[in-house]
Amino acid sequence: MASNKKVLLKVIILGDSSVGKTSLMNQYVNRKFSNQYKATIGADFLTKEVTIDDRTVTMQIWDTAGQERFQSLGVAFYRGADCCVLVFDVTAPNTFKSLDSWRDEFLIQAAPREPDNFPFVLLGNKVDLEPRAISAKRAQQWCQAKNNMPYFETSAKEGLNVEQAFLAIAKNALAQQNQSVDLYNEFPDQIKLTNTQKSNGGGDSCAC
Amino acid sequence: MVDTAVYQQYLQNLKSTVEGLLVTQVANVWSIYGGLNRLYFCLEKIFRHGCKCTSQEGYFYNFIQGLEWLHPEASKSYFAVDCEYRSHVPVPLKNDKSCIWLYRSLESYSLCVKLSWLLSDDAHLQSCYESWAFLCQKQYADATLTCLRAVEKNQATFLSEINPCLFVRNATAQKAHKRSSSFPDNHLKYSIIKPKSGALKNAGAKEKKIIGKLKPWSSLPDLQIDSSIKIPKKVHFESKTTPNTPLHTRKISPSMLKVDYKVLQPKTSSKKSKKPIIINNSDIIEHTAQLSSSHSTHEDSTPGTSYDKNEKKGFFMQSPLSKLEYTFMPLEGEKDYSRYKPKSFIEDRGMSILPMSTGQSYLKPIKGQSLTSYLTSSKLARSNAELDRENAHFSVSEAIISAMEKLKCQYREWGYLDKMVTDSDDSSVGEDPELLQNLKQRIRLRRGQRLIDNRWKQWSGALLSDGKTDTTTTTSPNSTPPDSSSERSSSEEVDDLEIDESTNLKENRGLSMSLASLYSDADIMRKPRGAPDGSSEIVASIQSDILSAEGVALSLISKFNEKHLPKASDLEWLVSEEEVPQALLPLPKSWPVNPDEHEAASTNLRGTRDWAPPRPQIVLTLLPSPLRKDLMEKQNYKCAGCGMIVAAQYASRFRYCNYLGKYFCTGCHKNQVSVIPARILYKWDFSRYPVSTFSFKLLEQMYGDPLFRIFELNKTIRKFSKNIEFIRKYRMGLCYIKEYILTCRFAEMAQERMEHDLPSYFLTKPDEYSIDDLVKIKNGELKTKLKFLVDICLRHTSECKLCLARGYICELCNSDEIIFPWQMRIVTRCETCLTCYHLKCWRNKCPKCDRKIKRKEAGTK
Repeated sequence: MASNKKVLLKVIILGDSSVGKTSLMNQYVNRKFSNQYKATIGADFLTKEVTIDDRTVTMQIWDTAGQERFQSLGVAFYRGADCCVLVFDVTAPNTFKSLDSWRDEFLIQAAPREPDNFPFVLLGNKVDLEPRAISAKRAQQWCQAKNNMPYFETSAKEGLNVEQAFLAIAKNALAQQNQSVDLYNEFPDQIKLTNTQKSNGGGDSCAC
Repeated sequence: MVDTAVYQQYLQNLKSTVEGLLVTQVANVWSIYGGLNRLYFCLEKIFRHGCKCTSQEGYFYNFIQGLEWLHPEASKSYFAVDCEYRSHVPVPLKNDKSCIWLYRSLESYSLCVKLSWLLSDDAHLQSCYESWAFLCQKQYADATLTCLRAVEKNQATFLSEINPCLFVRNATAQKAHKRSSSFPDNHLKYSIIKPKSGALKNAGAKEKKIIGKLKPWSSLPDLQIDSSIKIPKKVHFESKTTPNTPLHTRKISPSMLKVDYKVLQPKTSSKKSKKPIIINNSDIIEHTAQLSSSHSTHEDSTPGTSYDKNEKKGFFMQSPLSKLEYTFMPLEGEKDYSRYKPKSFIEDRGMSILPMSTGQSYLKPIKGQSLTSYLTSSKLARSNAELDRENAHFSVSEAIISAMEKLKCQYREWGYLDKMVTDSDDSSVGEDPELLQNLKQRIRLRRGQRLIDNRWKQWSGALLSDGKTDTTTTTSPNSTPPDSSSERSSSEEVDDLEIDESTNLKENRGLSMSLASLYSDADIMRKPRGAPDGSSEIVASIQSDILSAEGVALSLISKFNEKHLPKASDLEWLVSEEEVPQALLPLPKSWPVNPDEHEAASTNLRGTRDWAPPRPQIVLTLLPSPLRKDLMEKQNYKCAGCGMIVAAQYASRFRYCNYLGKYFCTGCHKNQVSVIPARILYKWDFSRYPVSTFSFKLLEQMYGDPLFRIFELNKTIRKFSKNIEFIRKYRMGLCYIKEYILTCRFAEMAQERMEHDLPSYFLTKPDEYSIDDLVKIKNGELKTKLKFLVDICLRHTSECKLCLARGYICELCNSDEIIFPWQMRIVTRCETCLTCYHLKCWRNKCPKCDRKIKRKEAGTK
């Protein structure tokens, strides 16, 4: 019964500007990579269907603006996220340092029911580049301190580990959604409305 | 590999670029930002398409080199690409001579002529381009020329001549539709075989068949004239030399010239051919100003012929009144600039508006400057204030008179007969073998030129007669009564008969007719073009006023060899600069000097010790009601516009300008009325008050410019009308909402509306208003418009996934409601980080900013 239900997983990618958020998403969804840099404005999303444990789920991946100046738009889309992907550039130490604030901001704005158990995944991108500034060990240490967050080293350019990372993301997101009682998707009020309607409907049919 | 799609694409690009340039109706299309570059890139593509030979000098350099022998005059001044010029050229083409040539020719409005020369030689074309090249497609090459001409003449109507089949896919010439089905079909079936002129160089000018033709008017007699019209030569002259009634002669539209041409062509071969004559409809309606332009291509294809047209009309009207009138009126088919929107105030700070007199008289010639270049110097060609222009006439006449005097002396020294030089050449033909020789030589040259013209006309004719949509042309039998044929005179005809003409002239007409013959010269046009340093834009402007003092002067001196002419600096002026020195007043310190501007603009600001011309100011103060006596005294009884002094007893004749608050003479103040910005801002008074001509133009120019921060200028302005506050809120809201709309990939429709329905400053400067805006606030128009647009945008954002996702959630109450910055009644925004909160939750402390500060502190520790 549950497998028939269409599942939408909402994944948010966060991180400093030019760490490769858009590139990772493009590599995963379109299997394309471009060397050209174009700053993302506000937020945008792509969707991809994936099969996890024989269940087809739709991943809605939200790519966000890392640049401060494009953050003049709101982040209402944090709400209802099923998983948050934090990205940093392994060759740029500052992008690693700001991970904490990205995580904090996300938890505040998204206001998940259980902030401590909310699934995060950390991606260290650009491993094809030298020199490395953040070692895998250091990243893993950080992850351990944050409720054992999974860590992947990726290269959006080479397509290295991208598939695996997103699969893990999807799994985590799915697990989160199954746990969560609160099943709202992207538009809180609308979804709420349908939920109540549904439950009402269900109640009615039961009564009958 | 002929790929029509590519041609269509190129032509479409070119055409739409040209349309874009012309739609704004500015006097100089290049003043549109990026316009020149855009057009250039379109053309570069065309020039590069299928280019065979690339030389080191540039991509299509070999091709343009053909100009050197095809039309040496046009080529010489432009091949020398000076270093100075390079700085203006876009970077990528700096090292490509051919590209620079293209860019420069385009800029100087001479590309059309040059290209038509280049295309005129088939062999040359073939040698430089592959057969599939864009330029080798005659129809497309012609269309390109039409586009160029449209730009050069600044007439969008030309574009309608381009056969839509050339750029609309899937359309074919045969599909040209009829406008009315009741139109008898047999008229459509006539096909005409164009006379093939042996002189035509272009083998490509094949016989054209006209199959489907349209006819917009059923009211015209559907008769066909099947008699060829025989026009005795003499009759032509009579019509030309008896210009008794201007009204009558006005009817001799240039269209006749065109018709004549076609009729005359077969005449040379078979005088009594019974071919049906097809006349373009545009010819018949020639006298209506609008369509005349569409016609004028026929004659205007080369500068020489275009002059023929204009000048002839000018001289038909020989009564002094009509002639005078003509001088100040735009030429037929030419744009009346005064009627079109001038440059906006923001664009040129009102510098294009010159007061009645700027005090700028004719410039002193630079040492060693040739007379021709002096006369073509941009100072003259520029449309100066009327008074200055009148003054310029004196300078021009002086220059010419003293040049003639000098020449006379010279010739005398050389032993020539005095009389030969007193007038221009034609009248002295036959008396001097050498001059006659010269003349003959010139006639020969002109014939050569004419052949090209002919060919060009056939081209354009063919172009017109190809499949056309209904609006521009049609086959229509010649409805002109046969007797009027005597009035027809084609430029060709005149050229043919020049010698007879000159004898004719000698017999009965005086100076005016010799002038007329002067004008029939194609070289009026070519002279300035070929003039050594006649800069390009001048050619365009000279083109526009052939009857101006400069035009006449140039045509006069064009009769003389440049070598013989005295240098402009050597002329002896009747009143020299030394005698009446014109000192420049120092510029006020506050005067902004634009480094890009040439000195011309800055020296316009001239005056005397107790008078200065009005400046283009934005006057924001309410003027007290004027006390004539006091004010006139303050003004030293001088007109504020031109400095003319008036006697105290006549001071009552002066008129008050309600914008500048000064009195003007009746010449500078024509009692035009206008709204006064200050009165709107402080009194919400939209009535019109009399203003000086200068102010009127200035106000007209700034009408649409966002010059007023109305809430800063008048803090209490919103009490005048509820609409003001409404508009303020809507404009603020629009500024917020545009962030969402313009970056949303699902909002195409709203984006389009936003960009097209509003002036651009609406989206960037919500607090700036133009006079136009204020007027529209007053009449409610702006409210309706904004409301409509905002409604569209709101509808989008409330439905769009992406826009909703970019909304805010109030962190303070953490409710799930998505809020947006434009919901100004319930939402407030942190000024630092722009995050939105509920107004009711907001405690003047932004938690997000606090977090940021804390993190920063932690980071520094």
